[in-house]
Amino acid sequence: MNTKKMLFCLVIILGLLLSSCGGSTPQPAVSQAPVTTQAVAEPVTITVWDYYGEATPIKPLIEPFQAAHPNIKINYEAYDWDTTQQKLNVVLSGGGAPDVVTVDMTWIPKYAAQGAFADMKPLSGGMLNGVPWEQAYTAGALKAITYNDQIISALYDFDTYALYYRNDLFEQKGIKVPTTWDELMTAAKALHEGEQYYYEFDADTFHGSQWIYENGGTLLSPDNSTVVFNSPEAVEAITFNDSLLKEGVGLNWTTDEGERIQGVKDGRIAMFSDGPYYMGIMKSAAPEMAGQWRVALHPYSKQPGSYLGGTGLAIPVASTKQEAAWEFIQYAMELENQIGVYTLAGAAPALKAALSSPEVNVEDPYFGGQKAFSIFLQTMETAIPFPYVSSWADIDAAFTNAMQQIALGDKTVQEALDEAAATSQEALNK
Amino acid sequence: MTAIPLPHRFTSSVKKYAMPYVFIAVPVISLIVFLIIPMVVSLWWSFNDYSGLNSPKFVGLNNYVELLTKDKIFTKGLVNTTMFVLLGMSIGPTLGLLTALMLNQKVRFRSLFRTAYYLPVMTSLVVVSTIWLMLYNRNGLINSVLQTFGLAKVGWLSNPHVALISIVIASVWQGFGFETVVFLAALQSIPRELYEAAMIDGAGGGAQFRYITLPALRPVIVFVYIIGIIGSYQVFDQIYVMSSGGPVYSTTTIVYYLFSKFMDLRLGYASAIAYILFAILVVFSYLQLRFSRERA
Repeated sequence: MNTKKMLFCLVIILGLLLSSCGGSTPQPAVSQAPVTTQAVAEPVTITVWDYYGEATPIKPLIEPFQAAHPNIKINYEAYDWDTTQQKLNVVLSGGGAPDVVTVDMTWIPKYAAQGAFADMKPLSGGMLNGVPWEQAYTAGALKAITYNDQIISALYDFDTYALYYRNDLFEQKGIKVPTTWDELMTAAKALHEGEQYYYEFDADTFHGSQWIYENGGTLLSPDNSTVVFNSPEAVEAITFNDSLLKEGVGLNWTTDEGERIQGVKDGRIAMFSDGPYYMGIMKSAAPEMAGQWRVALHPYSKQPGSYLGGTGLAIPVASTKQEAAWEFIQYAMELENQIGVYTLAGAAPALKAALSSPEVNVEDPYFGGQKAFSIFLQTMETAIPFPYVSSWADIDAAFTNAMQQIALGDKTVQEALDEAAATSQEALNK
Repeated sequence: MTAIPLPHRFTSSVKKYAMPYVFIAVPVISLIVFLIIPMVVSLWWSFNDYSGLNSPKFVGLNNYVELLTKDKIFTKGLVNTTMFVLLGMSIGPTLGLLTALMLNQKVRFRSLFRTAYYLPVMTSLVVVSTIWLMLYNRNGLINSVLQTFGLAKVGWLSNPHVALISIVIASVWQGFGFETVVFLAALQSIPRELYEAAMIDGAGGGAQFRYITLPALRPVIVFVYIIGIIGSYQVFDQIYVMSSGGPVYSTTTIVYYLFSKFMDLRLGYASAIAYILFAILVVFSYLQLRFSRERA
């Protein structure tokens, strides 16, 4: 009787332990050696992770893809942006990595430095749907997906910044749409009234880098060995940004201001710089403002500039079904499906052909009939991705901290940038 | 008495206590698998440079040296966390004791009040943080109230001198109900006769509190402080939701910094942070246990 009870309990315990352990065995250390993948002729199931959320352009691809490729089944899993990043950290080291995953381009430095994603050059044979990679993307976009001469992700949607402005106020007050920094200052002063109609900016690397690029500076030297965001051009650029604040026409959007869209709606913000995805947000959250806003190339002092980000589709190196994963990615990058990135998710497709297609480059009634995407295509030509160095997170944090100190008035522009440059150089040298 | 051979004594003992051991085995094995083993592995990682994706690279005490001597953000995190603990643990238990003393009177609807005070404790910290985030909005409720009294708006989460205090306020609001309930239970177990005897002897309220209530509450106070300090040192949820460690690192805490290092794929460094925190908490726990035993 006792032995039976013991056996029963042992079975329960074993069951509890086994169920609490992970499902898959840990993968061996990541390597770039060619992985034996199953020939796609045999039935295979690939796991796809998607962080787009409700308005996803990826989920609708599953059925038609499976119909076109009967040997490939898709196991689709949706996680939000935060969760994807956290899970990815865990599965890339512990096992259970998906075969295709949506990655934010700002995550690329840390993952690429660890060799986490498969090289798509051999998988693709140098062609993306019959077109060489160099022709499918702009130079900046291609740079963004290349690391150590490997293509580690297919840029799926892109993020670059353009100027959003209240055209109705500009017309009402007879202000010229700015193309230079001086004109921007003039326009900002003419627009601003009391607590309304500011030029809104964020004290972070995305926006700070734009000013620097526009003044002919960069964050790191071309060979990524020296920190140069405290160079004279860069200091001049951030000083101009700060002058907007000091002249009382700029608004530093801190956490306790809430969501920026609220400021858009209640008139606190009349100008700001952001990416194409924000058009979708404005349309859904501020439909009453249709016709009031336009987009334009962000005013610059020496040359147009912006950071380049977006979402890429990547294949973790640990995947054993890379060829099937590549088939899916190539399918997602077909012209009609790239157009779907805009029509379904309101995001900007990264494929050049899609961006200039009539379906995407439509006259947008919300923006007064403007062909908004042609502006963003223009910005993509000169946009620069963040440098792909393994210490990028530390450099980003130091630069953002400097921007915040400047916005708070704690330090002068030169002091803050010098200090951040010293910290970043230390991190870079490690 | 004849000596029973050891093997037989052992097996009969095992047979007699087999079932209880089997039941104990479940949590013990769970403890080993989910706590002890990860702690040991994490300790190993703390002596390595480890991204999680490639093999660990042994670096000895480098992570600890860097954290304790060169990492200014970690130092700020230590200072911030200690400030958070000091502020929180001064206000929280005091509020808890005050409300418990009030509830200990013959108050009507006492259990209703007790529930009301304890409700925030049961609420998810993330939910509480989100609500306070809205309250602290520049145009939120708190600033609106200030403005109606003619006062200036406060940058609750954007002013680096105020941000940590704002988070302390939200945390104390959420947590002091726990102390209230614990103190109330302790107060109600103090025999009434002691107070009656004291009153006969002419002791006023203050003296009664000093000579009867406080000594009786001593073990509970020690308990509350140990739990409170250990918990407060690990503050994370509020920072993650409300301030992301900013502005300018004014609300970066030890665990938040650890998390950010994990997200940067620096697992060895993050493990070292975890062990430094562990050491701090061990020291606190030891000191407090000694303190509570001294005058026992």
